[in-house]
Amino acid sequence: MISPQTLIMALFGLSAGLVLLLVLRPSLTAQRSGKILAFLGLLALPVLCSFVGTTAQMERSKQTSFCLSCHIMEPYGRSLQVDDPHYVPAAHFQNHRIPTEEACYTCHEDYVLYGGLRAKWRGLHHVYVQYLSTPMNPIRLYVPYNNRECLHCHLGARSFEESPTHTALRDQLVSNDMSCLTGGCHDTVHNVGGLDKVKLWNGVH
Amino acid sequence: MISKNPMERRLRISGMFVLLGLLIEVLALRWIHPAAFLVFAFIGIPIGSLGIVIYLYSLVSLRSSDNRTVEPT
Repeated sequence: MISPQTLIMALFGLSAGLVLLLVLRPSLTAQRSGKILAFLGLLALPVLCSFVGTTAQMERSKQTSFCLSCHIMEPYGRSLQVDDPHYVPAAHFQNHRIPTEEACYTCHEDYVLYGGLRAKWRGLHHVYVQYLSTPMNPIRLYVPYNNRECLHCHLGARSFEESPTHTALRDQLVSNDMSCLTGGCHDTVHNVGGLDKVKLWNGVH
Repeated sequence: MISKNPMERRLRISGMFVLLGLLIEVLALRWIHPAAFLVFAFIGIPIGSLGIVIYLYSLVSLRSSDNRTVEPT
C-alpha cells in the first residue's frame, strides 16, 4: 500500500521534473504539446502541489507530536502520562477516550462552524508569540475553557447522563454558566507546576 | 543558456521560481517543526506563485505582441 506521504512526494517530484525540463529546454513550448506541458508544469501541477501540501500541513498540525515539538509544550506532553485518574487530560489520553495521535487538537478545538480554522489561527498566534513576543508564564488559555468541547463527546453518553450531579446541573453545564472545571468537579487539568511531585504512568519521566 | 527569445527567457525565469517554490515546499513538508507551516505558506507558496504569475504574464504579453504584429499598417 502506497502511503499518502509517498504520493505527495511523487507529485512534487513529477512537478519539479517537468519544470526542470522546461527550464532546460524552453524551446519545447514552440509546439502545441510543449505548450500543454508548460501549462501542466508551470501552472496546474504547482497549484495542485500547493493545495495538497497545505492540506498535508493542516493535517499534520493536528498531531500531538506536532504540538509537543514546541519546547514550551513539553510539560503538557508529560502531563498526559500522569498516573492519577483525577488528571482529566491524562485520564482521557491513557484510556484512549480521545485519539492519542491528535490529543491536543481533539480537546482544544472549538466544536463550532469554522472551529478548525479558528484553531489554526490560534496556532499561528502561538508561533507569533513564540518567535516575536514573550510567551505567557505560566501558559494560560486565551479564553476560559468552554464546556461545549467536553459536551461534544460526553453529552448523551451513558456515563454522563446517569450521573446525578450532571443531571442536576445539566442546564448550567450546557449553557456554560458553570464550568466542568469548577473546583470540586473536574478541576485537575494539566497542572504542570506539580508534575515533579506525581508518579508518571508507564515509567515515562 | 540565455535565450534571445523573450518568451523562452520568461518561461525559464518562471520555471526557476516555480522550482524554487516547490523545493521550499518539499523541505517544509519534511521538516517536523511548528515553523514548517510558516515556511511552506509564507515563503514556498509565494515564490511558486510568483513563478506562475510570470508564466501567465508571458502568455498575455506574447498574445499582445502577436496582435501588434498582425495589425494592418
